[in-house]
Amino acid sequence: MSFEPTIVSFLCNWCSYTGADLAGTSRIKYASNVRIIRVMCSGRIEPTFVIKAFTEGADGVLICGCHPGDCHYHEGNYKCLRRYHLLQKYIQQLGIEKDRLRLEWISASEGKQFAELIDDMTETVRGLGPSKVKEVMTTYT
Amino acid sequence: MEEARIGIYVCWCGSNIAKMVDVEAVAEEMGKLPNVVVAKNYKYMCSDPGQDLIVSDIKEHKLNRVVVAACSPRMHEMTFRKALENAGINPYLFEMANIREHVSWVHTDRDKATKKSKSLITAAINRVLYHDPLDKRSVDIDPATLVLGGGIAGLAAALEIAGSGKQVYLIERSGALGGYAAEIDLLAPYMNSAAQVLDPLIEQVQNHKNIEIFLESKVTDISGYVGNFDAKIEKKGKEVEKKIGNIVVATGLKNFDPAVIDRYGYGKLPNVVTAMEFEKMLKIGKVETKTGKLPKNVAIIHCVGSRNPDYHEYCSRICCMNALKFANQARSILPEANIFDLYTDMRAFAKGCEELYTQTSRKDVLFLKFEKGDLPTVKKAAAGDDCDMVIDMHEALSGEDIEVPADMVILMTGTEAHDDAKDVAHLVGVSMCGNDFFIEKHPKLDPVATTTDGVYIVGNCVSPKDIPDSVSQAKAAAARILASISQGSVEVEVTTAEVNEDICCGCQTCIKVCPYTAIGYDEEKNVSIVNEALCKGCGTCGSACPTGAIRSKHFTDVQILSQIEGLMSLEV
Repeated sequence: MSFEPTIVSFLCNWCSYTGADLAGTSRIKYASNVRIIRVMCSGRIEPTFVIKAFTEGADGVLICGCHPGDCHYHEGNYKCLRRYHLLQKYIQQLGIEKDRLRLEWISASEGKQFAELIDDMTETVRGLGPSKVKEVMTTYT
Repeated sequence: MEEARIGIYVCWCGSNIAKMVDVEAVAEEMGKLPNVVVAKNYKYMCSDPGQDLIVSDIKEHKLNRVVVAACSPRMHEMTFRKALENAGINPYLFEMANIREHVSWVHTDRDKATKKSKSLITAAINRVLYHDPLDKRSVDIDPATLVLGGGIAGLAAALEIAGSGKQVYLIERSGALGGYAAEIDLLAPYMNSAAQVLDPLIEQVQNHKNIEIFLESKVTDISGYVGNFDAKIEKKGKEVEKKIGNIVVATGLKNFDPAVIDRYGYGKLPNVVTAMEFEKMLKIGKVETKTGKLPKNVAIIHCVGSRNPDYHEYCSRICCMNALKFANQARSILPEANIFDLYTDMRAFAKGCEELYTQTSRKDVLFLKFEKGDLPTVKKAAAGDDCDMVIDMHEALSGEDIEVPADMVILMTGTEAHDDAKDVAHLVGVSMCGNDFFIEKHPKLDPVATTTDGVYIVGNCVSPKDIPDSVSQAKAAAARILASISQGSVEVEVTTAEVNEDICCGCQTCIKVCPYTAIGYDEEKNVSIVNEALCKGCGTCGSACPTGAIRSKHFTDVQILSQIEGLMSLEV
């Protein structure tokens, strides 16, 4: 059986979660590998959440927020973007491939784009193979 | 903390969920998890019997936590919170797992969908264990209302609200009230005078003691929350501040610019005019070509900029009936002229519209159909032709390529969002769809409310619509607002941030990241303080806080971290 990655996704309530809901109401099919967690704003997504997902065994983490300029809270997505760049450096130093963490903007009307994103990321992470983070953590701690 | 006693309810949603998820197996397995006292599946959890099931279980089994696995929480979270409240437990001791929009409707493998449902529900169970009871906060409603836009929808809303004795501030950016309706001669389908409809409305608004009109004005800033907004209004360079409780957005649409469609020759051929330009001719009673002649051939082209993926995919709804109206008016003014109506589909859906179509077809108007992907082309006629222009088209019903003579071409231009719709959306805090129309709270069940409490959207800024629909929406919003004013107060979200003063180190990082200046600093204690009235609960302070002193209520670290653990406890 081929490797089925698990992708934990953090979505902001106003744009991205609504976009994912729209994919549902429009009955657009996509890979079932994604597990969604709702937060009010992408600015709420702490680096700790991402690291926690990896240490619990996630093979990929996807963060989605409103498009630049569209944040329900004015600028939470910009804060998320800044943290994302720092986090990318951090995870790479830990030996986690950069493609395992992704930040994308999904608006409330982009159900189709959300579905395509999930399929795309699932394939990318499937190509990378299982993440070793959990295994390493349990072996050495 | 008292021992958690959780009730799990897995909804079938008829066959919507049950078809793709083995709801019985899911409920059974979830029932084995620690702290789960009851685990049930039911056809429609949101129905009255479904909610009663939760209420009676809470009482019978002394449940103190509830998880419902059903549709999106954006759909029914409030419904179930209310059920908890009815059963006498705090409504925030509840969590939803979205196994419809995020599972059954988007996946095709029943085993995988069932597994995914289990992991989402496990995550919800893990999360709900850490939920705290939160007290609802009630705020007073300021009885004044801000109406943005002085078109027919804005006027209708303003009058309705002011009529019950409440103050309205009506903001219009142009120098006159009435919007597009003021530029129209007759109204389809009954051909009554627009001025006779509009003028009395404007007069009533102008003379109403409860309506303050701001012409040539715009709102530059809105702060606050439902019941307690502060608006800054700029009127001819001067700034006024008003306190309001609710906001009606009735900013309308603008007309599509047909110059971008090269084949229609607008801007190049002098006798190709837009619907609004023809309307102006009708209004002054002078329908003639640029050279001052009466047109012998009039052609009307539908769907200009609408129902076309290159411009706008949506139907602008009002143009078909306006086209028929023009055909009728042209027929009265030009009894000898040939009138051609070039349409793709005739959309005569509203009251009296199909009848107008039938009447028009009896008035010697030639209807010619073109296919959506095969638009006609307008060109200058050859020197010897007895007309100014010729339209090349493939007539779909006869299947023939034909030439239509024309001395005047009327383009039935569609409507589109204002260029600054985004600014308005940001100002009031509403979302926009791909076409820059504002998004309703629920397209079917809550069409005038938005996800921002106290902000209502009506008329053409939501989607293209005719006057009766715009007025209905305006009055619906007015009714909602009057109901909230008569209640006097409203319950607001309590998912704000709070500071644990014991571990706050006074670094003030949270103050820098807060977009609402909701966090202040206590110089004496050296700690940050959250102003709950200003906090909107985005949680960005919580992510920035280095010590974990700031908690975003209902989105705390421990809630989300344990949710992640739950998600990952089952394999994909």
